[in-house]
Amino acid sequence: MNNTLRTRLLSILFIFGLGIYALLPSIRYQLLSDDAKNNLSQDELTYFESKSIKQGLDLKGGIYIVLEVDLPQLINTLAKNKDKKFDKFLEELSKDYKNNSTDFFTLFEEKALEKDLKLPKYFISYGKTKDQIIEQLNLESADSINRIIEIIQNRVDQFGVAEPTIQKQGNNRVIVELAGVQDSERARDLLQSTALLELMIVKDIESTNTIVRQIDNLAAMNIEKTNDDVDQLFDTNNSDENGLGFSSLLIAVGSDLAISTSNLSKLQNILNQDNVKQVLDATGSLFLTGNSAITLINDFGEEEEIYLLYHLVDNAELTGGVIEDAQMRLSQSGVSAGQATVQVEMSNEGSREWARITGSNINKRIAIVLDKKVHMAPVIRSQIFGGGTVIEGMDSIQEAEDIAIVLRAGSLPVPVTIQEERTVGASLGADSVSKGTYSMLVGLFIVILFIIFYYKLSGFIASFAVIWTLILLLGVLALLGATLTLPGIAGLILTVGMSVDANVIIFERIKEELRNGKSVRSAIDAGYERAITTIVDANLTTGIAAAVLYQYGSGPIKGFATVLFWGIIVSMFTAIIVTRFIFDYVTSKRTIEELSI
Amino acid sequence: MKFIENTKIKFMSFKKVGFALSATLGAGSLFLLMLGLNLGIDFKGGTAIGLSFDKEVSIQEIRSVMESISVGDQEFNLSTEEIKYFGSNKEIMIKIKSQDNTPENFGQGIVNHIYKSMPTKVPEDKNMFILSLGAVSPKVGSELSGKAFWSIVSALVLILFYISIRFEFKFAVGAILALVHDIIITLGIFSLTGYEITLSTVAAFLTIVGYSLNDTIVILDRVRENMKSSGTVLFESTINKSINQSLSRTLITSLTTLFVIVVLLMYGGEVIRPFAFTMLVGVIVGTYSSIYIASALLATIYKSSN
Repeated sequence: MNNTLRTRLLSILFIFGLGIYALLPSIRYQLLSDDAKNNLSQDELTYFESKSIKQGLDLKGGIYIVLEVDLPQLINTLAKNKDKKFDKFLEELSKDYKNNSTDFFTLFEEKALEKDLKLPKYFISYGKTKDQIIEQLNLESADSINRIIEIIQNRVDQFGVAEPTIQKQGNNRVIVELAGVQDSERARDLLQSTALLELMIVKDIESTNTIVRQIDNLAAMNIEKTNDDVDQLFDTNNSDENGLGFSSLLIAVGSDLAISTSNLSKLQNILNQDNVKQVLDATGSLFLTGNSAITLINDFGEEEEIYLLYHLVDNAELTGGVIEDAQMRLSQSGVSAGQATVQVEMSNEGSREWARITGSNINKRIAIVLDKKVHMAPVIRSQIFGGGTVIEGMDSIQEAEDIAIVLRAGSLPVPVTIQEERTVGASLGADSVSKGTYSMLVGLFIVILFIIFYYKLSGFIASFAVIWTLILLLGVLALLGATLTLPGIAGLILTVGMSVDANVIIFERIKEELRNGKSVRSAIDAGYERAITTIVDANLTTGIAAAVLYQYGSGPIKGFATVLFWGIIVSMFTAIIVTRFIFDYVTSKRTIEELSI
Repeated sequence: MKFIENTKIKFMSFKKVGFALSATLGAGSLFLLMLGLNLGIDFKGGTAIGLSFDKEVSIQEIRSVMESISVGDQEFNLSTEEIKYFGSNKEIMIKIKSQDNTPENFGQGIVNHIYKSMPTKVPEDKNMFILSLGAVSPKVGSELSGKAFWSIVSALVLILFYISIRFEFKFAVGAILALVHDIIITLGIFSLTGYEITLSTVAAFLTIVGYSLNDTIVILDRVRENMKSSGTVLFESTINKSINQSLSRTLITSLTTLFVIVVLLMYGGEVIRPFAFTMLVGVIVGTYSSIYIASALLATIYKSSN
């Protein structure tokens, strides 16, 4: 073997070795039994996680969520001196924003102009001119997304997920990826719940009765109004629904009011009517339901699902900001013994407030409200010192644990909405992996068979190149710490089919040169030389497509683009450099009269 | 094996037939496109739910369960939404258009309702019941559509740029028109078969762009080489010669690629099927267009400019 051949061999072996070395951790991890995987120490686990090819959410199962700050809600919270005009403005704005991907504050400005809304009237603490106000509101929004990310980070850390990723997208979204999470419902609640804890005084029975009567009268008036409308006149269904009135929807459960689950939407319709809102505003009160349904036997002896309904003072005495610690505890005594509760400890300041509130409201009821759902409304028997309180009414230990987590991590400054969600169950992911691997092996087998059948001995060389393309490509993915996704597996399979291309171009060129009467040696040289420009040109354009895909795509698509891109690079290496070396080596050993191609 | 060696097919003599065929297919596709494409939730917004039952279920059964679902404090009748089998008779895929007032956690609410309503057919562990759950808001849907569109356009522009530098602008025009042709006809076939367009279909489209171009460039490369040896004059005979010279390569590469795509279609599973289908159509159309659109257009452009 002459010197240049030896150098080429060594560099090829070096690259092969590097590829195998990069793949070792992934192979070792795959070979471990499930038991052994569970028994890995933290260090070993980190080692395998950082060195192995990562599996994307679509293969491993898990949840991908894009949360967006509820900007209209943020504006609503920041505004002062709100009036009807402002409410109308905000309602239209949030409707427009829901279906429009224009920047929120651009829409905000346009809408304010259209509605002739005097911004300083509502946002005087943020500036005197429109531009100042919008700039300040923008800052508030940026600030809120940063706080939201911090809080979500906190929650996820306490929830315990192996490799969570939390990133900001644009200036009002956050992308959360939790790989391997099985219980998507629980994870979603944990991320999305605002976790706003409010302690509110329950209105006494007399004022509740008064307001129910008032709303009944208003509902009756509304029906007369709608009946004047000729279109509505014949719509008997509609008037029937409203005709039931407010009090007829209510059920008395002990001293509490309740509403049947099937009537919830009617309740919301009534409460959303403008004049009903006015009445409630005037008395400074609101209606909220309990956090979970209760099953009762009704007057007809049937089972009925109901929600308790509370009439509360619309002003939180205390909010979650005063919480210092929250823990799940199993209740030790009383009727609720053995049930999961959340024990809350307040800060010093909070404790003082709590003592004052409980002291001045003895014998009244206080509702513990989490995210606008009433968990419990106990009667205050005596003043409470020390700032401890217990929240009951949890369905399970898990729920209590999660509520404790979100209370500890703090409440979101603004609610968030889910804009995009992709949950993949673990079984679907595992199924995809096994089907993908199977397809890849079958595909590889057929391609190799065909190539050997068509190109004979040279076909073996090309097949050798294809197999090494796959190994090296996987090695590159492991080195890059790239994530393998389902489309990525498709990309691998595609690479098997397409990577033969470079060899086909070369072989066809060599055959042509042979037909033109060249010797084997010079036909090989000419074939490679001429084929290279074609191969580079053809592959680079596919590379461009892959790069664009990478820029554009989200997780799974990015995985595909990565595989496609590196597949091109690696297949050019194996087809041009590796197979060339084999041809050169064989022809240097002895003179070959006829090439098996 | 020598069945495709030394062919001397006069491809360009059938140029007009090729143009006519492409024009017909293209016009047909555009017409079908106007009738509408089956856009998935990625682009339209909506909810897609994949469920795995313990026993076989009938679509009708699911429909009746979905007649009345209450999520949050709203009632929905979802019995007319798209429900189909997903692989086997135990697996179901439900697609729900985005609603006007989609409540929070709409998808989960529907899953919970079905889970509660069919207690004898669902697995004990609710987490095993959910195969997949996707929800896209209309806003994100329109953003994703925009991104998909611009990604294809920017890929085309970049490639146009690249070929103009490496070859000539005239070469690039033919190549790009061939790509547009491929995309339109593939979309037409999507419209015809009612296959759904998703994010991974767009990825497949971009791969077709790359693949079809691969083919075109191999031929154009030969044309360039043959032009050099024949004194930069381009005749149809030069193009014929170039296509014939690269014909075996074109066919063999298309074959190996088709092999793996067919394997993917057969064994790759439900999730990957739309992707494999797009690639299948694209590879066939792309191979054809490298010969009859890219090369033939080049011949026509040169003829008219000389």
